[in-house]
Amino acid sequence: MSGSRRRISGHLVLSQAAPFIGFLASMVVLVVIVVLMKESPVKAVEAVYKFALNGAAKLGAVLSISIPYYLSGLSIAIAFRAGVFNIGNEGQYFVGGLVGALAGVYLHLPAPLHIPVVVISAMVGGALWALVPAILKAARGISEVITTIMFNNIGFALVNYLINGPLSGMAKGVSLEPQTKKILPTALFGKLNGFFRSIGWNVPDYVYLDYSLVVAILAGLVIWFLLFRTRQGFEIRAVGTSTDVSRYAGIKVRRVQVTAFLLSGALAGLIGLQEIFAIRGFYTYNIASGLGFDGIAISLIAQNHPVGVVFSSLLFGFLKQAGYGLQLSTKVPNSVTYAIQGLMILFIVAINAVIVRAVRSMRRKEQG
Amino acid sequence: MGFIVYFLAKGLEISSPIAFSALGGVYSERAGVVNIALEGIMGVTALTLVWGAITFQSIWVGLLVAILTGVLVSLIHAVVTVTFRVDHVVSGVAINVFGIGLSRFLCQSFFGAETQSKINPYLFPKLLGVNSLAFWLIPAVFIGWFVLYRTVFGLRLRSVGENPEAADTLGVNVTAMRYAGVLISGALCGIASATLFADKWITGMVAGRGFIALAAVIFGRWDPLGAVLASLLFGYADTFRIVFESRLPIPSQFVQMFPYVLAVVVLAGLVGKSRAPAWDGRNYEKGED
Amino acid sequence: MADTLLELREITKQFPGVIANDHVSFDLRAGEVHALVGENGAGKTTLMKILYGLYRPDSGTISVEGSAVSVRGPRDAISRGIGMVHQHFMLFPPFSVLENIVIGEESHHAGVLATGTQRARVQSIMQENGITVPVDARVEELAVGLQQRVEILKILFRGAKILIFDEPTAVLTPQESAELFRTFRALTSHGKGVIFITHKLDEVLAVADRITVIRQGKVVRTMDRAGVTKPMIAELMVGKPVLMEVERPAREAGATVLEVRDLKVRSPRGLAAVDGISFSVKAGEIYGIAGVEGNGQSELVHAIAEGVEIESGEILLDGSDTRKWSVRKRRENGITHIPEDRLKYGLLLPFSIATNLTLGRHDKPPFATRLQTVNQRAIRESARRIIRQFDIRTPSENTPANALSGGNQQKAVVARELAADPRLLVASQPTRGVDIGATEFIHRQIMKARTEGKAVLLVSADLDELLSLSDRIGVIFKGRIIREFTHAEAVREEVGLAMTGGKAGEERAG
Repeated sequence: MSGSRRRISGHLVLSQAAPFIGFLASMVVLVVIVVLMKESPVKAVEAVYKFALNGAAKLGAVLSISIPYYLSGLSIAIAFRAGVFNIGNEGQYFVGGLVGALAGVYLHLPAPLHIPVVVISAMVGGALWALVPAILKAARGISEVITTIMFNNIGFALVNYLINGPLSGMAKGVSLEPQTKKILPTALFGKLNGFFRSIGWNVPDYVYLDYSLVVAILAGLVIWFLLFRTRQGFEIRAVGTSTDVSRYAGIKVRRVQVTAFLLSGALAGLIGLQEIFAIRGFYTYNIASGLGFDGIAISLIAQNHPVGVVFSSLLFGFLKQAGYGLQLSTKVPNSVTYAIQGLMILFIVAINAVIVRAVRSMRRKEQG
Repeated sequence: MGFIVYFLAKGLEISSPIAFSALGGVYSERAGVVNIALEGIMGVTALTLVWGAITFQSIWVGLLVAILTGVLVSLIHAVVTVTFRVDHVVSGVAINVFGIGLSRFLCQSFFGAETQSKINPYLFPKLLGVNSLAFWLIPAVFIGWFVLYRTVFGLRLRSVGENPEAADTLGVNVTAMRYAGVLISGALCGIASATLFADKWITGMVAGRGFIALAAVIFGRWDPLGAVLASLLFGYADTFRIVFESRLPIPSQFVQMFPYVLAVVVLAGLVGKSRAPAWDGRNYEKGED
Repeated sequence: MADTLLELREITKQFPGVIANDHVSFDLRAGEVHALVGENGAGKTTLMKILYGLYRPDSGTISVEGSAVSVRGPRDAISRGIGMVHQHFMLFPPFSVLENIVIGEESHHAGVLATGTQRARVQSIMQENGITVPVDARVEELAVGLQQRVEILKILFRGAKILIFDEPTAVLTPQESAELFRTFRALTSHGKGVIFITHKLDEVLAVADRITVIRQGKVVRTMDRAGVTKPMIAELMVGKPVLMEVERPAREAGATVLEVRDLKVRSPRGLAAVDGISFSVKAGEIYGIAGVEGNGQSELVHAIAEGVEIESGEILLDGSDTRKWSVRKRRENGITHIPEDRLKYGLLLPFSIATNLTLGRHDKPPFATRLQTVNQRAIRESARRIIRQFDIRTPSENTPANALSGGNQQKAVVARELAADPRLLVASQPTRGVDIGATEFIHRQIMKARTEGKAVLLVSADLDELLSLSDRIGVIFKGRIIREFTHAEAVREEVGLAMTGGKAGEERAG
């Protein structure tokens, strides 16, 4: 029996190996590209280190960038765990961010209350934007892949209209882009840099380590707890594994899928918090886009696990900074990191598929 | 009268990117492979089209380059889904991400700027005021229909999407047919991107057309003619918006939303579940019980 | 003496733990219908799969028209003239009959389909063999009997001389079956040979020229039709093996727990799978349902355990109508279910055994607290207890379910459903694919449930299992219970005969 115990844990290790192998493979590709561009790999590594890893300011920047990535990856993780392909978190965070911003602009509340209200509003906005695709899937079996993508575009247009029209807060000669009115000071996200400095990490003030970090950590803990410590989370994971078995076990499959879908939208609503409430202080549809799609990549690499997403979002933050570093100091352009990201996912999912099948046939052979 | 002709021609031009990629989507799904990466593939082929045209000083070479690029990128999807048997949607998402990154990277490498290319002066000749390549859609539909329903290849391709096990026992090469379907969709993405804006590549120019093409495939019931007609529906609706935008009392953004809302409404309103090829999206392993 | 089309000599095939074919010899003559008869698991399917190239025999030879051949796969088989009409058709439903027949062997001009030529070819095959089907109709629109003809035409189109039919009448109406037998006659009159695999003894006697009976992997006898009766065949099929008798403590059955009245359930194809069935199961009783697969057992089980597809009729649990109940409600009221396909329905394979052992009760204490958190410790403790109790061989309770052998997986499913302390246990093929040791254990557990006063509905294709465990046996045939036996009355031959639709004491001279 102990022989098979060793073999079982060997299998477990193997099945977690895909992200690491995939990461290494894509790093190899990166080095190849660097060499092909007639750049010295040593110089490239130096540039990356200097820009992304050297010192509190650089590390802090990586962490800062990772916060929205984390929230995005988390929103995808919960959806994919339930077998729901929510590709719509782009639209969900634009709409959710707007709703949150409106709560920040138009509600008058004392600070300790205003910030949680703003966060919840953003969640509600994101969930609302996932509602129609969720209902269409549950009631009519319509593929959420297409509907959520359509809703992304509808969301952009809607937000665009609102910002240029009824919700506009543009001040002549002052505002540079279409935006809402300024968010009230009671709702703005403060910085945590002072706290970090006090524990010895010297992060300068221009790096944004703000309340959204707290939101991200809390969200991560909540989702982790939900997925792995509650019955509802178990049902989400069961439905994502097999709807047949779930139905047999008495689980209400459609209800679980809709719940996961809405939760995913709610989390997506939080993605823009840092930019809206800490960096800018108002909402504009020019906030960074693409974070939603990045979240899909981030979650897939982390095999849809809330803890894994921590690492993959930090990885993405690191890659982004590394890209800038390469661009500044070498001939390698920033955009190579985008291509590498995509390649990494492909490697990881392909290698994972191979490993899963290899483990399965190894197990079968062992049973004779 | 002149206006009507212009409207019809313009509509055809605006529909063609959707229509060509939808036609490709039909082939891929009929062989059983869901390809949601049409969007990402088009982004890359649009770039290589411009590069090819400028470098070789001919739009036709550019078109060839675009088609080849489409085939190469879709080859990745084919390998990952058919050979490695990864979930089709996951692979499609990955390729979309990769495609966005790749196109930016290539743009920077070719043109020095990440988000837009140089201007390409070598364009397709104009016909009736629009890109003449768009008119190729008409023969393309017929060829697409003919190949799918009237040739040995088309029959075997369809059989693989319907029942790969039966096809296999009858001697059809399931793997080859699936690869073929995916590569055809890649090639058609190349043509589709050439009917988009061939004068310049800007990041995000595909603007969701690849996904609308998927809706067109479903709405057109996985039939070449149906998918193209559905694409024309979307395209002409969009043309209507462009032409009348300024004269409508509706804010422009709502008009902008229109094709996407239409797609959702169309999907939601489909009576009953339309019938995809039976093994669309499912991986097939020989001998798997 | 007619020419021998096909000869199998001393074919042997082993799988881990079981000898599927044991020195089987069999031959087929031109112009004859040769029936191959045997119970589920007797080895008929394996033999045919070998003939069709899906398996390789461990030893033995196959000769076609006198020359020894080695069949490497279905395509190879058909090129040697061996064609198979499967029980589950291999058709393309939305395509036309013509397309279905020619795919893989199309007539064309430089890649373009030559429809005219194809149509002519197909039509000549149809004429030659006296089998007609509307060539341009879509296969999905055709009745099942016609679809089957398309399958036959497919293999004739490719030059089959030896046609194997695997349970062809399982999905046909009586009229369609009669048509099929006319087709057999047409085929054999043209010199083809037909191998007809079936359970249905009526049909064997109606159409076979020779009959070969297989039991437990061996050929029991090959005989000419003349003088053979149904009871003779049934006895050969079923034999008198040593029963694994389980101890049966005497027991008075209690109140009626499950009552099924006039239940009608439609199959996915729309046929009446369960056609007005009525029976009841009492507390402390095992009611076995015997029958050839495909007579409505699966649909019956799903209707009771999950409430699906019920057209009319009642299913009462302790008097309450369960028709509108959700799956969760059924479980809460004490119905548990051992599914016939444990991999598809019974286990979440990537999850641990411990977690799988809670499925169906995962949302109740002690496994879930009132705050809806998961009580891992309770799950693990309960799992350890169950693993010990049921002797489930696993490295630990945290091992993923897909790491266990089939027998242990099944034990886990059985353990789970029994541990839920049900009122009614619905067990469907509980020992399918399970080794002897685990099978004995599961039987003992089911007996124990009976002793504890539970009602057990046991559906099984294994007649020995039913005979040994059941207090009463209901034979299901075409969606109805046609005969009931008490444990004392249940004699193998009688039950076996009833399963094939035959009646007791019937003698039919050839």
